[in-house]
Amino acid sequence: MIHDIRHPILRLGKTSVDIFPYWIGLLIAGLIFGLTGAFIVLRDGLQVTGLSNSVPWGLWISIDLSSIAMGGSAFVFGVIVYILRIKRFEAIGKLAVLLGFLGYSTAGMVLLFDLGQPFRFWHPIVFWQPHSLLWEVTMCVVLYLSVLAAEILPVILEHPFFKNHPLLARYKILGSLMGRVHALSNWLHKAGPVLAVAGLTLSLLHQASLGATYSVLAGRGIWFNQSAPVQFVFSAMSGGVSLLFIASVFIFRVMRPGTVGDSALYDVAQLAGGITLLLTYLRVWDWAVTNYYSFDREIFLQTQMLDTIAPYSLTFWLGQAVLPIIAGSILLAAKRVRNFRYLMAAAVVPILAAIITRWNYNFAGLIASISYDPFTPNIILNSYTPTWVEFAVATMVLCYWLLAFSLAARYLPFRAGDDRHGPDSAEI
Amino acid sequence: MQADSEHKPAEAHVSRRDLMKVGAALLGALGLTQFIGLNDVRVRGSETDSEGGRKWGMLIDINKCIGCNYCTYACQAVNNLADDMLYNVVTTETTQSGGEFYLSRPCMQCAEAPCVHVCPVQATYYRPDGIVAMDYERCIGCRYCQVACPYGARVFNWKQPIETSPKSPEFGMAEVENRPRGVVEKCHFCSHRIDKGLQYGLTPGVDREATPACVVVCPTGARAFGDLNDAASPVSVARSEALVTLRLREELSTEPRVYYIPPNPKPEDGQEAGA
Repeated sequence: MIHDIRHPILRLGKTSVDIFPYWIGLLIAGLIFGLTGAFIVLRDGLQVTGLSNSVPWGLWISIDLSSIAMGGSAFVFGVIVYILRIKRFEAIGKLAVLLGFLGYSTAGMVLLFDLGQPFRFWHPIVFWQPHSLLWEVTMCVVLYLSVLAAEILPVILEHPFFKNHPLLARYKILGSLMGRVHALSNWLHKAGPVLAVAGLTLSLLHQASLGATYSVLAGRGIWFNQSAPVQFVFSAMSGGVSLLFIASVFIFRVMRPGTVGDSALYDVAQLAGGITLLLTYLRVWDWAVTNYYSFDREIFLQTQMLDTIAPYSLTFWLGQAVLPIIAGSILLAAKRVRNFRYLMAAAVVPILAAIITRWNYNFAGLIASISYDPFTPNIILNSYTPTWVEFAVATMVLCYWLLAFSLAARYLPFRAGDDRHGPDSAEI
Repeated sequence: MQADSEHKPAEAHVSRRDLMKVGAALLGALGLTQFIGLNDVRVRGSETDSEGGRKWGMLIDINKCIGCNYCTYACQAVNNLADDMLYNVVTTETTQSGGEFYLSRPCMQCAEAPCVHVCPVQATYYRPDGIVAMDYERCIGCRYCQVACPYGARVFNWKQPIETSPKSPEFGMAEVENRPRGVVEKCHFCSHRIDKGLQYGLTPGVDREATPACVVVCPTGARAFGDLNDAASPVSVARSEALVTLRLREELSTEPRVYYIPPNPKPEDGQEAGA
């Protein structure tokens, strides 16, 4: 069965306008602008960026870290739907897979431009260095993107276009090709549990390794941290599930009423809230361990220097501690709040917190780096300003994400399970 | 949360079989990777597998350094580097009592090099003689090594390589191939000189042709080079004669192979520092 999809309509007086074509046009314009920047990077190399030998990782790596975090709901809901077999989350699980795929493909895309030798992107797959965290992250992301592609294929093929299009009947070759694709898709759907286990393993590995990529570097002071891997996993879960909640409300409650019951949406909000509170608990303990129970001169000086040029401590206390506690509590009490506007507003906080955590982490050790002077070691403040080309590539990947999401929101059925399972009919 | 496990017992059989098939295939694939010999192509040496036990090292006497930057210039000429590409850096630093000194910093050629540990493609590796070398054909330009190096010893090739270094011919001529744009470069103790010199029976550290350019060019003889495992090599002799030597950021356990003789306390410093 196919649910009616209600498209958001902008009402201007008596006329109502479907803004979808304009929105898509805007995104395509953004893509074209971004492609110009991408072309310049590929032609002229990374000299067109604001990166330097002191700050070799900048805007793109931060976007990469953030977009991977935004895909964090895919493995959580892979487990919920395929391993715990909680069927009423099946439709939401499909959306989670979409968000995962978009997050990871965005990350892969932006990383490609960040390589000095973009056409050697395949080297880590062939030349193994298992000691390197970045190698592990690369391999996991490549494999996990394959898992997500396998998981997303059945979701896309649900669209009637791929079953009932007249061309499929007219041209036999197309019909048989699509038949094979559907057979593959069915097989992949049955392999769901295996893919979920693989996805969970790969996700946990590389989400943790992303934190470890920074935290193993003893020479960078503020980065050297034992709990960073765990924090990265939880921040991806908290930010990812919060984004999933917002997207679910939009896609199911607003556009496909009747597909998913409100109680399931409240459950997603509660899950996001619970993980957010757990993450904040870890973050605050981590602060206490590194800044209160122990004293590290370098970390102290680095923090002090960062505070002089940016609201570094403020973004921690406000963005990663106080607001997430409030937002996490609101989300956890979703069934009492019972107001989707408040809940969606609260869900924005964990998303921003995950992004802030990762941006701060990336820049802290690079902007305030430690000198090698043997007698009076000090902290050197480096600076970095992204160029328009970096912003262009960032716009490109953002527009790609939004374009794919918008098309999916408008056209994909996101049916709850197979046709023989009805939609969750609980309290709508 | 309600787990509805009462669904479709018939399908569970099929999916279990499929599950096992996929699992077996994955395990098989994982097993197969063990036979892929790509990573054995080059010996990634450790502390033990050394060629004739040689371990190249350097000693820089800070008291002799006059900050002329000739080491940097000779390095740029030999490696054909633009003015903004510096493998070797000379900075002015201060002692705890405020006395200024020049600190010349090549790559430390660490025995536990963070850059080697982090490189995702083994483009950075230990040569059997301990030199931390680069495979510029393999480097993908991710710059993780730059981020990891506690000494800032790595430089990224942001631009197209130049034809001739501005420091040539005054400080020497290019002796190595140009590297492509988009890879990370580093000091390699002029390993091309060492390798060629050994072929001709020369002794690196003693014979100029087999010794790194920065050591040869130094007008005050502040740098000594040679095999750390040979007690008669210039570097070992200089180390044994020095009252005290230090290595940069030793607390990180990177085990650098570049040693420094710290600045002697000046008479006026001595009073302030009470030393």
